Parts: sequence; structure tokens; C-alpha cells
Amino acid sequence: MNYKKVERMSGAMRINHWVVAVSMVVAIVTGLYIGHPYYQSFIADPAATKYVMAWNRLAHFIVAIIFDVSSIVVAYLYFFSRFEKPYKKLIPSGKNISEFFAVLVNLITLNRVKKFDSSHSDSFNSVFFFVFHMMLVWMLLTGLQLYVHGLASGLSSIGAWWPAMLHLATDWTLWATGGTNMDVRISHHYTMYSIIAWVMFHIYYQIWRTIFWKEGDINIVVGGNKFIKEK
Amino acid sequence: MIEKREALAKMFSAKGSKINTNRGAEYYDSLMQTMNKRLAELEQTPAAGKVSITNVLEAEGLDRRDFMKWASAACAALMLPSNFTPLIAKAAELMNRVPVIWIELQDCAGNSEAILRSDAPTIDELILETISLEFNETLMAAAGHAAEEHLEEAMHTFKGKYLCVVEGAIPLAMDGLYGTIGAKAETFKDHLLRVAKDSAAVVAVGTCATFGGVPAASPNPTGAVGVQDIVKGKPIINIPACPANPANITGTILHYVLTGQIPELDHLNRPKFAFGYRIHDNCERRAHFDAGEFVEEWGDKGAQNNFCLYKMGCKGPMTFNNCSIVRYNSGTNWPIGAGHGCIGCSEPQFWDKYAQERPMADTHFKAPTGGVEKTVDEFGLGLLTAAGIGIGIHAIASVIAGKKEGDE
Repeated sequence: MNYKKVERMSGAMRINHWVVAVSMVVAIVTGLYIGHPYYQSFIADPAATKYVMAWNRLAHFIVAIIFDVSSIVVAYLYFFSRFEKPYKKLIPSGKNISEFFAVLVNLITLNRVKKFDSSHSDSFNSVFFFVFHMMLVWMLLTGLQLYVHGLASGLSSIGAWWPAMLHLATDWTLWATGGTNMDVRISHHYTMYSIIAWVMFHIYYQIWRTIFWKEGDINIVVGGNKFIKEK
Repeated sequence: MIEKREALAKMFSAKGSKINTNRGAEYYDSLMQTMNKRLAELEQTPAAGKVSITNVLEAEGLDRRDFMKWASAACAALMLPSNFTPLIAKAAELMNRVPVIWIELQDCAGNSEAILRSDAPTIDELILETISLEFNETLMAAAGHAAEEHLEEAMHTFKGKYLCVVEGAIPLAMDGLYGTIGAKAETFKDHLLRVAKDSAAVVAVGTCATFGGVPAASPNPTGAVGVQDIVKGKPIINIPACPANPANITGTILHYVLTGQIPELDHLNRPKFAFGYRIHDNCERRAHFDAGEFVEEWGDKGAQNNFCLYKMGCKGPMTFNNCSIVRYNSGTNWPIGAGHGCIGCSEPQFWDKYAQERPMADTHFKAPTGGVEKTVDEFGLGLLTAAGIGIGIHAIASVIAGKKEGDE
């Protein structure tokens, strides 16, 4: 049986993926601390030498910015990827819908039914990732809304345009979550759990595909390619 | 609900939230001219009340120097340059020219009490004694029909000129019959609408009057809402907090006396000079927050060392108010200074969403799925457990019944 190598992710895309993965772990670890400081700093140390909450917040913001930049890259790829452009797989056309369900059926029937082309990024995959990207955008908007509360003076180290822009871009999240600052926090926290659940399924599904499809899917994000049986 | 959201959406898109504390010489010159003109006009009008700040201060044993010190502090609180201090002092002297009708709805009268009950009143509080308070259920000697007549007379005499100060929420459930007033059992809603109609502006004092406050807390049996949900087509100034800080009430009325206009407001109609900054950013314990030094339980070493109260549920990071700067009771102290976290009393829905005395992550809210209240973490861990079980079942099923490619 002959296998054909199919390229799926470029080097830059793979780096982007792992940057996102590491950022997410850091964001969760520091975010949980910000929501409820779960370890104590040494009481005997003077305050200036520990700065634990401040470091946690710094790390949280830094990974958030890395996250945001990578999201912009991903948003660009939705339309200009040299692989199959993801936005084309999201349009609810008859072809895409039938492919979406064909992949879902494959998952539910434990790979006993497999009636779709598994060489490319299919509709199910695209929709699944789209959900993730929407959650990231939501985290970005709610996170920046929480952040701009601290810029009440309307000034920032990079100028007045920054808080003004943040208000313009994120104030609607207050309205969308229920009208109070607290609702934005609650939503930001809930969405973190949704993202973790998403990641759990994502990792499981990639491993499951590798084991059952026997096409080396796990290598997409490591080596950039997978293998397809030649007919 | 949809209507409320639309109203909120409108407010959020109305104006920016930048607080401009330096608007340039040109702006302040023209503002000073406006104020001088306004004060000169007010001076011509007869004093509506007999009490003036001069004799009130004298009675309390305070001299002119104390008064001028207060005026410069009030000037700073209103975010005006220091050369406005004499104008502030003059405005305070002319406070008895502005008629105020203070109505009391569904509340505990805590805002009135906060102003009246201090044994060493601040100048802020004394000034509120000199305003021409035409009607106030808590204070006035008149009762019954005499009081009703008095209200009618005041509304008629000062039509279009008086400030309508409202304390307390408005119950709407059961056609508003949860709260009625007077011999004709006028509902609070009708009472408010009637008094607000001929007023120059409406000042909602305290969180009940602004956002519904404690009466509107879940499940809100009386259907309580704030003034801004009822009164339309009038300038409304919200001065929330539980109780509202007398300094902010005075500041708002001072601003009205000085300019004849309402102060600059934020998206929740709160004066920016008072609610423009976050408690957390001006908190004396902020350094302990950044250092990760938290009070872990009441009375522990951290509490003795004035550590940050975030883990005891302090809501300073989500609350906009100036009590970390102005404080209460002549600047004596404020909740965090006294060792108790902020409960977010100046924010909408504070009783349901802020005042649980736990960090947000540990607070029991209504979960998105409904049912029993749970913390965000409990709900989240439930979600992850469900995801884990689902994955586990699929994995085991795949091992037992799955088909690998190439299997025949």
C-alpha cells in the first residue's frame, strides 16, 4: 500500500499553533490566580520584592497580546491562506453541510463509516476551529474591557487613543453580558472553562484520528504534513 | 428586559468616558464667566430659605477659615482649577436660593440619615442643611394633608426651577401598590412622575433610586426599578452608593448652583467628578494587592497588617466611586480602611453581583444552565467533567468497537 504525503501546515502556521498553546496555558494559570489568588506569597518578605499579583497580571496581559496578534494572523489566513481558505469551508453550502455531517458520523460510528476526503481540512474541522476563534475574540474583547477599567483617566503610556479605542471597541460587552462590570468578569471566567473543554476535545480528537485513521494526523502540527493512502 | 438592554445600549454609545481634567485656559475663562453671571442672577433672587451658611457655621463653631478650606477641597473634587475657589464659596452661600423637593420612596432613608445623623457634621453636610429644602418627608414638621398641601404649594411656586431629589426605588409590580403615599394612595410611580414633571432636573440619591438597589435584588418581589427607568425627558443625575456620600450630593448641587446645568455624566448617568475613577486605583491597600499579600481570614496576620481584602471579596477592582479619596464622615474612614472589603454599592445590581463577600470565582451566581446557584468554578469544573466523561466513553467505545484503517 502506497502513501502520499500531503502538506497541511507551513512552518509559520505550526509556530503560531504552539505559541497559542503555550500562551493559553500561561493565561489559564495566571488568570486563575487573578480570579482567586490560590497561593500565598511569603508574608515575611517586603512587598516590593514579591509583587506576585503584579507579575501574574503582567504575564496574563503579555500572553493575551501574543494571543491577540496570533489571532490576527489566523484571521488573515481565513481569507488568504495558500491552503484551502477556511472561510470557504464555513459557508453553509450543501457540500459543506454534507461534509460536516459525514465527518461527525465518522466520529460517532467510531470510524466504521468514513465517507469523506480526509486529505484536506474538512468542514467539521473548520467549524470546530471557528468556534474556538470566536471564543478567543470574546476573551479578547471582555479582557480588554476589564483592562480599560484601570485607565479611567483616559490616558495611557502610549497615548489617549488607546483607552478611547478600547472603550469604543469593547463597551458593548458590558451591555451584552448584562450591564455591570461584574457580568463581564463572570463571562470572561466562564469562557475560560469553555475553552479548556474545547482544548480537551481538540487534543483527544487529534490523537483519536491518528490512531484510527492511520494517516499520521498528529504530524500536521509537528512536521506539517500527513499521509493519504493512494488509491 | 429587552427595553432595559436597549436603554443601556443607548447610554453606552452616547458619550465617551474620558475624564478631561485640563480643558485649557479658554474653556475655564468662559466657564468662569458663565458661573459669575449665574451667581449674580441668583444673588438678585430672594433667598427661599431663612438659613444661611454663615449662621449655620457660626452655630457649629466653625470659622471662615474652615469654610474656605472646605471650598478649596470642593473645588478640587469638582475638578476645577484653584482660582474657582471663591466662586465655590459664593455658590455655597447662595445655596439657599435653589429650591429642592426631596421625595422618599422605597428605601430605608439611609441617605437622609447619613447626612443628618453625624454628631460632628462636615461642612458638606451643613451646606445641605442650608439648601432651600421645600419638602422632605423625613424632616418636615408637617404631616398628612398639611404636608400634601405644602408639596403642592412648593411645586407651584418653584415650577421649573426646583431640583427633584429622589431617595428610594420605585416598585412597579402589582400596579405599583407595594408603595403608596398620601390620603389618595398615590403610587410611588405616580408621585415621582408628578414631582419630576415640573422640576429643573432630577437627582437620584443612593443606589435604590439610581439602579433599584436592595429592593431590586433578586427575586425583586416588588418589581423595583430606579428613577431613570421611569422618568423620561428630564436631565437625571445618578448619585449611587449605599449611602450616597454627602460630599457627592453637595458637589452635584453646587455644580447646579454654579452653572445652572448638570455636571458631566458617565454612561450610567453618574457625575464623572465623583464616579470617574475606580476605587481599586486609589486604594491605600493597592500595594498589597500587587504584592500578592491578602487577608486570608478575618483577624489573621494579614488583617492585622492591613493587607489587601481581595480574597475576602473586596469589589474595589470593579467599582467606580471616589470613597477611597473622599471617604465618609469628614474623611474619618471608609469600608476598606476599616478592614472590610468594598461591596460595590455604587454599581448596578450590586446586591446580587458584588456584595457576596467572596472573590468573584467563589461567588454563587445563577448558572447559565439555571437551577441551583453555583460558583463559576463549580460550573466550569462540571463542564470539564462532562467533557472528560464524554471523551472517556468515546475512547473506550473506540477501543472496543472502533475500526482502524486497514482492519478487515
